[in-house]
Amino acid sequence: MMPGLEEQRTLESGYVTLDDLRRHGNIPPDEVLESRAVPIFDCIEEIPCTPCRDACPTGAVIMPTMNDKPRVNWEACTGCTLCAQACPGLAITIVNIPFGKKVLKDPAKALVSVPYEILPIPKKGERVALYDRGHRYLGEGEVFSVIRSHKYGTVLINVIVPKEIALEVKFVEVIRDE
Amino acid sequence: MLKFDRGRPIVINFNGKPVKAFETETVAAALYASGVIKFGYSAERHRPRGPFCMIGKCSQCLMRVNGYPHVRTCITPVEDGMVVEYEEGHDAELPLPTKEMLVKREDLEYDAAIIGAGPAGLSAALEASGMGARVLVMDQSPVPGGQLVKQTHKFFGTKETFAGMRGFEIAKMLTDKLRDRENVDVMPSTQVIGYFRREGSLAAFRTDGLGKYTLLRIRAKSIIVATGAMERSLVFPGNDLPGVMGAGAAQTLMNVFGIRPADEPLIIGAGNVGVIVAYQAVQAGIKVKAVIDIAKKSAAYLVHSSKIRRMGIPILMRHTIREAYGKGRVEGATIYKVDDNFHPIKGSEVDIEVDGVWLAVGLTPSIEVLELMEAGIKFVPELGGYVPLRHRNLETTVPGVFVAGDASCIEEASTAMMEGRVAGIAAAMKAGLGGDEHVKRMKEAIKWLDEFRSSPHYRRIREGLFKVTLEGGAS
Repeated sequence: MMPGLEEQRTLESGYVTLDDLRRHGNIPPDEVLESRAVPIFDCIEEIPCTPCRDACPTGAVIMPTMNDKPRVNWEACTGCTLCAQACPGLAITIVNIPFGKKVLKDPAKALVSVPYEILPIPKKGERVALYDRGHRYLGEGEVFSVIRSHKYGTVLINVIVPKEIALEVKFVEVIRDE
Repeated sequence: MLKFDRGRPIVINFNGKPVKAFETETVAAALYASGVIKFGYSAERHRPRGPFCMIGKCSQCLMRVNGYPHVRTCITPVEDGMVVEYEEGHDAELPLPTKEMLVKREDLEYDAAIIGAGPAGLSAALEASGMGARVLVMDQSPVPGGQLVKQTHKFFGTKETFAGMRGFEIAKMLTDKLRDRENVDVMPSTQVIGYFRREGSLAAFRTDGLGKYTLLRIRAKSIIVATGAMERSLVFPGNDLPGVMGAGAAQTLMNVFGIRPADEPLIIGAGNVGVIVAYQAVQAGIKVKAVIDIAKKSAAYLVHSSKIRRMGIPILMRHTIREAYGKGRVEGATIYKVDDNFHPIKGSEVDIEVDGVWLAVGLTPSIEVLELMEAGIKFVPELGGYVPLRHRNLETTVPGVFVAGDASCIEEASTAMMEGRVAGIAAAMKAGLGGDEHVKRMKEAIKWLDEFRSSPHYRRIREGLFKVTLEGGAS
């Protein structure tokens, strides 16, 4: 923030908090979070927009009319990431907490898929700075893999992050050596 | 994320000096790319001026080109060896061309003539031509697509309006489809300048090259006005400095031509346009200092504003600009905070170093052609200003003349496309084409528009439309 200006951490200025998302039912219960990959929709307004619903292969994104907020049927969701690739608002991250234990053999870690549209695209193995919804620095992560979707055009960066901040991570930036 | 095919490098001459350009650029873009941001001087006080809109609607980029005065450099393609000069002292009388102009004449006849090749006009052309109508689509720009061509973000909306596709991809898809149809003529670099009421025909001129024009008389059974809108300015000292421009103009330079209009701009207006342009600026490698807005709450979709918040671009609500300053170009701006009644809060002024001020403070419908036609017009702030009265099928008070897109109401590209569909079907029907299935298709499109506008985001639009929608027409 520039000197003399105070940062506004308000919904009115586009800053959404985890509490806002919880209130809107966009954060799944702990047992779901612990058991599989789930999409976190930073989408709590009634706007005419349906690509996430249209992309979902299992009908897990519930949206009766185009203006309804997306609701996820956690039981039907397979964590396939297509909604995150399709979302024009880059509003969806996929949080995969069991990935730490199952794949990385490190239960303190989780995998977060972050939609990304800035060049250069981070590469596998690169260290990245992790930021929250208001660009607050959260720590470092590592790019595990990159999903490039020809159909939807938005790249997903799969990042290994400390499990306790998995729900907070919303943006990454490659750390470049000076 | 974009690839630019600039084409062959060429050289133009600017005020006696050679300037490198690429053949796909406009004169204004080529000059901007080479660092020229001063496009002329004001007549009385000799203040430097720079382009504001970049889409042929303001008059800030006029220059003398190859001896022809008052050329809109932003919509004039560069040619090798072109001679571009400042115009001096054109306050008293119109400058005369130093060369003779060639003017040909042509008479044309169509079922539907569409003015504007943006999302509304192109969609209307697809619908009407699909019903068998002979269609002409005109646009003053050398490239069809309207403002879709600079929209690099994925669109919201539904499948019907190609949600998930990026705007420039939609423009390409629509123009490709039209190109394949024998009953459609797309005519770029063509501007409508008159309307003959008795015979219902249009007068237009097509620029076939500098100094070469074709004067057209176009008879059509129906006319669709899809002329879009123009960006608004804001009143503050220094708002005429080069570097102050519409956010859409910055978007044109970045996304159409791959030029960075500034390195550290300030954006005024945190609606969808302001925050989307801020996002695209980051994609272009530009550091946006802040997006400020005098309102309490950002009018943008939360998903759009959150996108730039997480990248670290501040959105400062209840802030506005005091002035922009600098020697010959923007070098800084003073912003301040306002209270609940929009009065300045004492001591809240902050000077920030910026090299651009981009205005995203709304748009005004371009309704000049409808005014020429003496269509019923009403001032409706909710819809962006003066807009035409219209029936549900988008026919104005002039029989056979329809309106669609931002010229009817400042809204979204998605709604412009769907309005284009409605107007296109209605215009073809007016020309005696179509059947029951087309009535059905039009009703579906109207229903889609109603549903889209039922979002709490579009309450003001709904209220505005209530004031200008007439009884009758398809419902």
